[in-house]
Amino acid sequence: MSAHFPGLVIIIPLVAAFLILIGALLDRRLAFPLTALALLGSLLTAIGLLGKVIQTGVVEYHLAGWAPPVGIAYRVDHLNALVLVAVATVAFVNLMGTRELVKGLFEDRLGPFYTLYILLIAGLQGIVVTGDAFNLYVLLEIAALTGYALVGMSEGRAPLSSLNYIFIGTVGASLYLLGVGYLYLVTGTLNMADLAVRLPALYPSKVVVSAFVICLVGLCIKMGFFPMHAWLPNAYSHAPDPVSSLVAPLVTKVMIYVMIRMMLFVFTPAFAFDQMAISEPMVWLAIAAIVAGSFMALSTRRLKRMLTYIIVAEVGYMVGGFWLGNRLGISGAILHIVNDAIMTLCVFLSAAAIISKVGSDAIDDMQGLFKKMPVTMGVFVVAGLSIIGVPPTCGFFSKWYLISGAVAAGQYGFMAALLLSSLINLVLFFRIFEIAYFEPFHDHHGDHGHFVSAVQEAPFEMLVTLVVTAVLLFALGIYAGDIVSQIIDHAIPVGIT
Amino acid sequence: MRFLALITILMVGGLLFYGTPDFPAWGDPESPASLHVSPYYIEHAVEDTAVPNIVTAVLADYRGYDTMFETAVIFSAGIACLFLLRIYRRKSTTTRLYRHNLTGITLRIAKGGKLPEGSAEFERIDSLWVPYDMIIKVTSRLVVPFVQLFALYVIAHGHHSPGGGFQGGVIFGAAIILYAISNDLRRAFRRLNEKAALLASAAGVLLYAGTGLMCLLLGGNFLDYSKLADLLYTDAIMARSHGILIVEIGVGLAVMAVMVSLYYNLSSAGRHDEGL
Repeated sequence: MSAHFPGLVIIIPLVAAFLILIGALLDRRLAFPLTALALLGSLLTAIGLLGKVIQTGVVEYHLAGWAPPVGIAYRVDHLNALVLVAVATVAFVNLMGTRELVKGLFEDRLGPFYTLYILLIAGLQGIVVTGDAFNLYVLLEIAALTGYALVGMSEGRAPLSSLNYIFIGTVGASLYLLGVGYLYLVTGTLNMADLAVRLPALYPSKVVVSAFVICLVGLCIKMGFFPMHAWLPNAYSHAPDPVSSLVAPLVTKVMIYVMIRMMLFVFTPAFAFDQMAISEPMVWLAIAAIVAGSFMALSTRRLKRMLTYIIVAEVGYMVGGFWLGNRLGISGAILHIVNDAIMTLCVFLSAAAIISKVGSDAIDDMQGLFKKMPVTMGVFVVAGLSIIGVPPTCGFFSKWYLISGAVAAGQYGFMAALLLSSLINLVLFFRIFEIAYFEPFHDHHGDHGHFVSAVQEAPFEMLVTLVVTAVLLFALGIYAGDIVSQIIDHAIPVGIT
Repeated sequence: MRFLALITILMVGGLLFYGTPDFPAWGDPESPASLHVSPYYIEHAVEDTAVPNIVTAVLADYRGYDTMFETAVIFSAGIACLFLLRIYRRKSTTTRLYRHNLTGITLRIAKGGKLPEGSAEFERIDSLWVPYDMIIKVTSRLVVPFVQLFALYVIAHGHHSPGGGFQGGVIFGAAIILYAISNDLRRAFRRLNEKAALLASAAGVLLYAGTGLMCLLLGGNFLDYSKLADLLYTDAIMARSHGILIVEIGVGLAVMAVMVSLYYNLSSAGRHDEGL
């Protein structure tokens, strides 16, 4: 059975999606357990796959039994096995944690909600496993379409933000498709490994150069890389809370994975880093992303909006780290994909818990929250420290790799931007801690000056998942060295030093 | 902003011009796209799958996995529309119109009024109801069965001629939508109600994915139809041909149901009360 793991990791959630809809037509309460079961199965398969890859190396799976390039093949190496586990973990943990929230928000449409939820995950996991450039686009469509629907289903400005997201996201995906079309035009194949074999002879061709630029721009739009990030803050901050905590950790990270995959394994490092000579401008754009994201986060006093701007900055971390072009930088970028997925999940989940109790996401309304929600705020502190980059949380280690990579590449601007961003994150989070810790909780019936100290925590399963994510943040930090030496080192081509 | 947009468009245009000179010539038989994978499909499609239409063989077998997800994309679109638009809690604030069939008198019953539901003498009508629509009704009644028959032909004949599940499914869906437009939404519900449409859309894609899963259980890779040979009492190559037909039927069912479900939700703004 383990030979089928690469297929099963997608097939389980896909088949479950249809069963969930049918089950929910019979009884709405079936939707959640079916989703949980399928995502758990998918998570276990992903973990099994990672173990198998660590033991035996690259795993291939030929769909419909046709060998590539005639058919579609999945090719799982250390890179996608790692990202796959991260995606499956975030999807499952978020599902368990937001059960009550989802019930409250979408009580009458649980079936469609969980169907879209699991299709989004199937799409994202498919993007990660596939070894076929066109198959990637098809799965991108699934992930995007379900994402738009989930993001748009909220009061106020959410539908408008989702519409914006649709327009810009469609442009990004179309550009990627156009780039793949260009590659097919000159090579006659869509398989990534086959493309990598056939492309080097064609590097002087202007078509390949155009394809490279078009693909990269399309992916940068999809990942919300500055200055193409305009859709991201609105879409993620207006989305329903259980959806923000799903799409915010996953979608941008998966798109960064796609960029790494395309640059390292379709176009070779020799082409991407040396011949195109865009490393320098990309790193400078990343610096701009980090600085702009950090300052925009500083300028807002809304919790979710602040977190979305932090994502803009974090995208800059990863893109910049990758384009440093050395082993340390790329390791940092890949490690940060995993770490940032869990960190973002953790902050967005705690934000969801806070918003559900406080009833607003204004930072100024968070007075006295440490007394009211001690566990949630404790986890929020851990996540904040991780985003700032305090050891032994995981955020420190990926930032360490990124900074070492920047020094090794001589990109002191990038190093300075990372340090500046850490400082700003320090201000951002301690501003919240201060309000929530020192300022008394205001009684809305009039300010009598007395504390309302009644503990009003989030639902139990939410607390459990919050604690689990916080523990994961420490675990990822403590085992960062092992992750790098056992997995990430094998994921990067040997030519890169 | 407008200036920035202009610059962006000029840059994209320039990029497209930049790449064009190195394109292979139009229709060049020596172009890379016609030398690498394509010849394999042209030379082997019939002996591999026993399907004369190469496009169908590529679409539903060699790259059948993509097609399964394309069907899932359509399914997602239907569910997304349902998720966003459907209003489950009925607001009884709207007035309803009932027509007395014998006298042609229309009653406007406001909120809270007693509805003549179930009475043979009264018929509920839409607010955009037109009295004399006999030509439309009779014509569409004549057309609908032929459209449906043609749809089935297109689905079944994808092996030999242009066609297949997507095209046939859309045509079939169009027939039901035509019926819903020429009559009204409630009458269409009596033929294919919302739940049935949803069930059919899920069942259609499930038929596709389930066929793939069956291949996996029978010892092959996902979607490797040749493993269905024992189940279908044929050899491995004909099994691929039959497998393609099965998944095309699944695609047709899903596409038809999604089209209808989209129409139901869009035409009534999710209320499923009055359509176009």
